[in-house]
Amino acid sequence: MIDRLPLPAQFDRLIIAGGTAVALVMTPILVVLLALMIGDEISAAELVFWLAFTVIVAGALGTVLLSNIVHAALALIATLLGVAAIYLLLATEFIALVQILVYGGGVVILIIFGLMMTNAQADPIVSDGSQKPFAAIVGLLLGSIFIAAAIDAEWGAQTTAVIPFRDFGARLFRDFIVPVIIVGVLLDIALSGALINARSSSDDDEAEPASEESEAAS
Amino acid sequence: MIPLENFLILSGILFATGLYGVLARRSAILILMSVELMLAAVSINFIAFAAYLDGEAFSGLVFALFVITVAAAEVGLALGIVLRLFRERRTSYVDAADSLKW
Amino acid sequence: MEEVWILPAIPFAVFVVLGLFGRILPRNGDLLAVLGMAAVVVLVGFVLVDFQDAFVDDFFAPVAGANTYAFDWINIGDGFFLIEFSTYVDAITMVMLPVVSFVALMVLVYSIGYMKGEQRYGWYFAALSLFVSAMLLLVVSGNLLQLYLAWEGVGLASYLLIGFYWERQSAAEAAKKAFITTRIGDVGLLIGIILLWRVTGSFDIQEIIHAAEEGAFGETYLTIAMLFLFAGAAGKSAQFPLHVWLPDAMEGPTPVSALIHAATMVVAGVYLVARMLPVYDEVLIARDVVLYTGLLTAFMAATMGLVATDIKRVLAFSTVSQLGFMFVALGVGALTAAMFHLFTHAFFKSLLFLGSGSVIHATEEQEVGKLGGLRKKMPITTLTFAIGSLALAGIPIFAGFWSKDEILHDLEKYGPLWAYAVLAATAGLTAIYTTRLVLLTFFGEPKDQHAYDHAHESPPVMTVPLILLAALATVAGLFVYQDVGQAFGFVGGIGEVVIAHGEPHVFELDVPFAAGATATALAGIAIGFMYWWGDARRAREARGWAPELHSLLERRYYVDELYQAFINYAVLGLSSVVAWFDKRVVNETGVDGGTQLVGFLGHRLKFLQTGRIPNYALGMALGVAALALVALGTS
Repeated sequence: MIDRLPLPAQFDRLIIAGGTAVALVMTPILVVLLALMIGDEISAAELVFWLAFTVIVAGALGTVLLSNIVHAALALIATLLGVAAIYLLLATEFIALVQILVYGGGVVILIIFGLMMTNAQADPIVSDGSQKPFAAIVGLLLGSIFIAAAIDAEWGAQTTAVIPFRDFGARLFRDFIVPVIIVGVLLDIALSGALINARSSSDDDEAEPASEESEAAS
Repeated sequence: MIPLENFLILSGILFATGLYGVLARRSAILILMSVELMLAAVSINFIAFAAYLDGEAFSGLVFALFVITVAAAEVGLALGIVLRLFRERRTSYVDAADSLKW
Repeated sequence: MEEVWILPAIPFAVFVVLGLFGRILPRNGDLLAVLGMAAVVVLVGFVLVDFQDAFVDDFFAPVAGANTYAFDWINIGDGFFLIEFSTYVDAITMVMLPVVSFVALMVLVYSIGYMKGEQRYGWYFAALSLFVSAMLLLVVSGNLLQLYLAWEGVGLASYLLIGFYWERQSAAEAAKKAFITTRIGDVGLLIGIILLWRVTGSFDIQEIIHAAEEGAFGETYLTIAMLFLFAGAAGKSAQFPLHVWLPDAMEGPTPVSALIHAATMVVAGVYLVARMLPVYDEVLIARDVVLYTGLLTAFMAATMGLVATDIKRVLAFSTVSQLGFMFVALGVGALTAAMFHLFTHAFFKSLLFLGSGSVIHATEEQEVGKLGGLRKKMPITTLTFAIGSLALAGIPIFAGFWSKDEILHDLEKYGPLWAYAVLAATAGLTAIYTTRLVLLTFFGEPKDQHAYDHAHESPPVMTVPLILLAALATVAGLFVYQDVGQAFGFVGGIGEVVIAHGEPHVFELDVPFAAGATATALAGIAIGFMYWWGDARRAREARGWAPELHSLLERRYYVDELYQAFINYAVLGLSSVVAWFDKRVVNETGVDGGTQLVGFLGHRLKFLQTGRIPNYALGMALGVAALALVALGTS
């Protein structure tokens, strides 16, 4: 049955290799965390958090470090799912669902489409830019600043409130109705822009100035 | 209860990783993906603050929603540009598009 | 009396109409200008009657409705800096108004004949109307800033009219010279006005006078302020050392010289000092400066007039000299004497100028060396010119005698004796050069047959003003008598009381004194006849006695050369230093150096613009990191 699927052979290998790698990394962590939870060292929520933490960080590192562009895209999916788990943990099911729907169902698919439409399929291995060391320094610098700021700051009284779905909807469509409309317009514009940009320039010459305009604008 | 700092640290690491990706990668699509990481980090921050500090108004949630929406729009538009670039230069490396140099 | 602002408004309206529509009006609108001026003369008559009714005993006291508020001109900070547009009428104004309006009317009528067929005929009348408007505004101004506005207005009109024949290089340069020279004085005037305003916070002339009398100023401060004010007066009234522009101003049309450079504008300085005389009385040093400047100018100009060969320049020097007389009178505090001389001088000097204009019009020649014998061909001009000359020389009955006598009398009484001697000698010199001018122009044999053949008597439109002015030059002096003055409305001013040192006393003719002055004048005339009668042989011989002295006078004491040298060495030298600085330091180092530096840096730094997005993003991230560090550090 697998043979009949129109999957490239590398995807086949990818799933097997990736699954093995994930299992190798995740299993010991899961075991450790479970042990800690059973020993009442951590709560169930903390278990989920650290699990998601691992997935997110590993996925993010995979996204930015893997040289195979397809692998990187899959690592991104893992990261985004981890983020959705974090959202669930923060008691916002709706956002978590939106995250999975939009990212998992939309954005990542779009990105993979993009990969397929460029030469990623023929040559999925990419090289990195020459400023890689500087990028590493700046990334580390900014990351440590953020972490330092997070630890340093006094956050005051903290309550974990469960946010009711109904209240959220009321707030979104009552108090934030104008931004919502604006975002709708934005999506419309983005759609048009993407359409004009992606259209083949050889289709007609009249489309040429418009596409260049939006190229400059973006 | 998980302390707020944990989420913020996670968000910081995620953001810094995304930034590294944006700066170090050459492929436009990989840069886009790194931008998604950064946006996700910001969303985590928003939601963590909304849940921990702003239980009554939860404006952060609304903004996280907007971030997701805008990210979707951005990816749509950016991929159009990437396709365009690929069609013009037969590559998706951003340093191929350097005609605005001196 | 409250509506006295109408007087300057009428000629200004004429100016606007002529300036805009002069080309399409019949006869370029000259009749409109004349009619407007006639209306002003009639209105001045009404003002005179009104003034007579309102007169109270005290000469300086503003009469009822004299200081009239018209409207707020400038109001900053709700009264902090308030300039009202106000008019002020007192005896001094009442002397100026008839003079300005009447002479202006005469000159306008005369100009119809004189300027006939000129290019820019309409513009000439427009500019004259502008001048009259500014001059009338000047004499009715109630505050100094308004006066300054009018002051610059007459300067502008003077500039325009001196340069009326701007196609001629010399005319354009004379206009420029007049404008720049008077501007030097005007700056002094403005500084003086500001100095006075600093202390009193007001531009109102009467308020300033009151403040000065109550001692609101420091003595030195007030002296300096009044000296600056006098600098303005000296510039406008062509007093030494700013007198150089007036002889050159004769490049303008002759009627303009008669109106602006003899009768009205040049006496603006006298008017200003007279108006501020109560303040000058507080600071005697400044008043002495006025006295000695006037004395020096009177003498120098009279000597220069002895050798000038251009008929109009002789008259110009005479004007400068007579203005010096007026300042001498003001310098000893003899207000009435100065204003009286201003009054009579306006008539006989404009008469002389118009007469010379008649000669020039007839012969197209203004060098006295080429004229002569014109009495046979131009009897009316000759007669009127002779009357004007007698008035200028100071022969009894004629106007000049009374006023000059008054000045000499006051100087003898209140001034140093040597000053009196110098001025009396100057009066004698006046008689000499006047006689010389008359003899050379109208008597003797014609020296240039062509000019003589060309000569003819002027048309009535020119001779009628001459006759009217000659009549006035004959009788205007009699206004000094109380009954005569009162009959013509000059109560309290020239008519009733003579004011010297602020002490009014009824005029009485000091017969022995007047006889002495008359004798001096007669002696001057006799000397004139002795040297210039017939073929002027003796005068030519006299030139040989002291050629250096002659050339000193002919070159006008080398003042022009001195200024030229000053400009050549000091101004141009300094300018070249500044020019060098500007060229080398400012331009080549500052401007060009800056651009070259920018160009060089740009050439080098352009490589920062790699055009690669990741490089830019790296820079942006570094910036964000820096900002985050700052935020972290300050929180």
